Order: sequence, then C-alpha cells, then structure tokens
Amino acid sequence: MKIFSRVMLALIFVFLVAMCVLEDWLATSALQTLQDDCTRIEALSLDLENLSDMQLSLAVDTLEYNWTNNESNLCYLVNHKSIQEVGMEIAKLKVYQAENDVKEFRASLEAVKFYSHSYRHFMGANLHNVI
Amino acid sequence: MLTIVLRAIIIYLVVLFLFRIMGKRQLGQMQPFELVLTLIIADLATIPMAEIGVPVLHGIIPLLTLVILHFILTLLSRFSTKFSMLISGKPVIVINPKGIDYQALKKLNITIDDVFEAMRGLGFFSLEQVEYAIMETNGKLSVLPKAEAAPVTNENLKLKVDPAVIPVSVVSEGKIMKDNLSEAEVSEDFIHAFLQKNVGKAKVKDVLVMTIDKNGLVYLQMKKGEKQIFENVRRAA
Repeated sequence: MKIFSRVMLALIFVFLVAMCVLEDWLATSALQTLQDDCTRIEALSLDLENLSDMQLSLAVDTLEYNWTNNESNLCYLVNHKSIQEVGMEIAKLKVYQAENDVKEFRASLEAVKFYSHSYRHFMGANLHNVI
Repeated sequence: MLTIVLRAIIIYLVVLFLFRIMGKRQLGQMQPFELVLTLIIADLATIPMAEIGVPVLHGIIPLLTLVILHFILTLLSRFSTKFSMLISGKPVIVINPKGIDYQALKKLNITIDDVFEAMRGLGFFSLEQVEYAIMETNGKLSVLPKAEAAPVTNENLKLKVDPAVIPVSVVSEGKIMKDNLSEAEVSEDFIHAFLQKNVGKAKVKDVLVMTIDKNGLVYLQMKKGEKQIFENVRRAA
C-alpha cells in the first residue's frame, strides 16, 4: 500500500472518529440544554395565572435562542426534517404565551419536553439506532 | 437548485477521491466484496445529492466508513488465505481432462452455456480445444488449451526475435507528453527538430499522435493527414 493511501486512510479514520464524537457531544448537549430550558420554564409557569411575566418571557426567549443556535449546528449532522418539530412547537409556545393561553402553553411545553427525550433515540450512538 | 449543484459537485469529488485511493481495478476484475462496495457507494452517493434535508455528511460518512472497511478486508485477505477464501471464494476447475465438472457448475450456480460463452470470449469455440478451464474468484474464466490447440509461439518455432519494445507516446493531440520524454529518451528539441525535418512547417499543435520506441521506430500522424512511419530514427536528446 502506498504511503499516500496509508496517510489518507489514517486521516479518514481520524475524521470518522471525530465526526462520531462531535455528533454525540453536539446532540447530547443540545438536547440537554433544551430539556433544562423547558424545566426552567415549567418551574416559572407553575403557579402563574398570567403568562406575560417578564422572567417567563425571558426564559422562553432563551429557549428559542438556544434551540435556534443548536438546530443550525445539528443540521450538519442530522436530517433537518427530523428535528424541525421543536422549532415549530417553540413558535407555538410563544404565540400561546402572547395570547395568555395557559392550557395550550403547557401542552406545547410538554411537547417540546417530549421531543427532547425522544430525539435521543435517533441522535448519537445507541443500540436502538444501530439495529 | 444551487444547493443541489453544489452537493452533486461535493459528492462527485468525494466518490472520485475514494475510487482513486481504492486502486485501479476494472469492474470485471472485482472480487465479490469489491463489487458489493461499488454498488453500495453508487447508491449512497445519490441520497444526499437529491435530498436537501439530508446532510451531505450522511452520504460522506458511510462512504468513508466503507472505504476503511474495504482496506481492512483487503489487508486481512493479504495476511490470511483462509479469510481471503471466505470472502472471495476460491478458483474452481470447471473443465478438466475428463470433461465438464457438472457438480462444480452446480456449486457455482452457472450453466454450461455460461461456460461456452466465456470460452468463446477467449477464442475457444470447442470443448475439444480445452484441457482445463478454471472459474476465477472474480467471475472470469481462465482456459488452458490442449497442446494441439495452443497458439504457436516463437519459442515453439525456435525463432530468434528482438526483445519487445513499447512505443511511448511523446505527442498527443497537439501536446507534448513531458512525463514520457525521459522514458522515450528524447527531448522537446528533438521533437521540434524531427517535425521540422520531416513535416516541414507543421508544429506540435498540428500533431494528432507521435510515438517512438527504443528501436527508433516513429509513428506520426498529423491532425490533417495520414499516418507516417519512420524507421531507425536516431534519438539524439
């Protein structure tokens, strides 16, 4: 085998390992951030009758900001269509907050939380994905 | 649309690069695992090309993984004959001096017609001409003809012949093949001088092909004109 091929193979191998580690790290951290943001919003909105609270608005904005950033990075590694529901659900969340619809707001938040759990099944390395 | 164009370019370059580092085997020379690899590569490459939602990396990562796997299999095949036989099979004698080995044909899942077809491709139209026929692991048939059907060679006729020489292409479609000049033992000046002497005003760009061998035989054909052969040309570099 030529030296060129050996070097290329070594580089390919390193690239593959790096991509696997990067994907796992990116997916885990993005979903963890999503879950943390949701938990924070849930805690803030627990006893609220009126959703126009300043802290809650900030928390929802943070959730949207974090997800938008993470989503654009995840799109390099994951099928964009598979993760677009979260963005849509966060947009709904903001609308329900503006309309002060507590019931729908909580339902939307639950949906985002659900996605943060269920996405772990197809992102990153695990036996379910392999099989 | 621009996205698809760019994706197609990226995937094409990656696949081209992969085939370059995998070697230069022809399709017909492929071992089974190499054929499988080629088929999968062709399929994988098209998915991210057309589907914008799928990241390009979803096409590239499996391609790179397959190349690594291919090299591991090749390496293992080189070190272990048993492993090589396991993934590539082993050559099977389908015709021997007793005749066609029908059991071997059944094992290989080929018909007598397939054997005849492969034999005809090699220039043997009768079973009488064949001593042995072996089905190679790459699916090609190798034939050992009977002594009376084998082509006569110079050795058989006890003829003394000059060693074979390979003509080297020094000009191709108006361009001097600089990499071949040292092999042909000529210089660019030689080519210009040769053309001036033999073709008059013609320049290198007017040459379709010019080859030269170590016996000094020059084959020259201009883009407009017929071939010319020059013998015993002195190759003063």
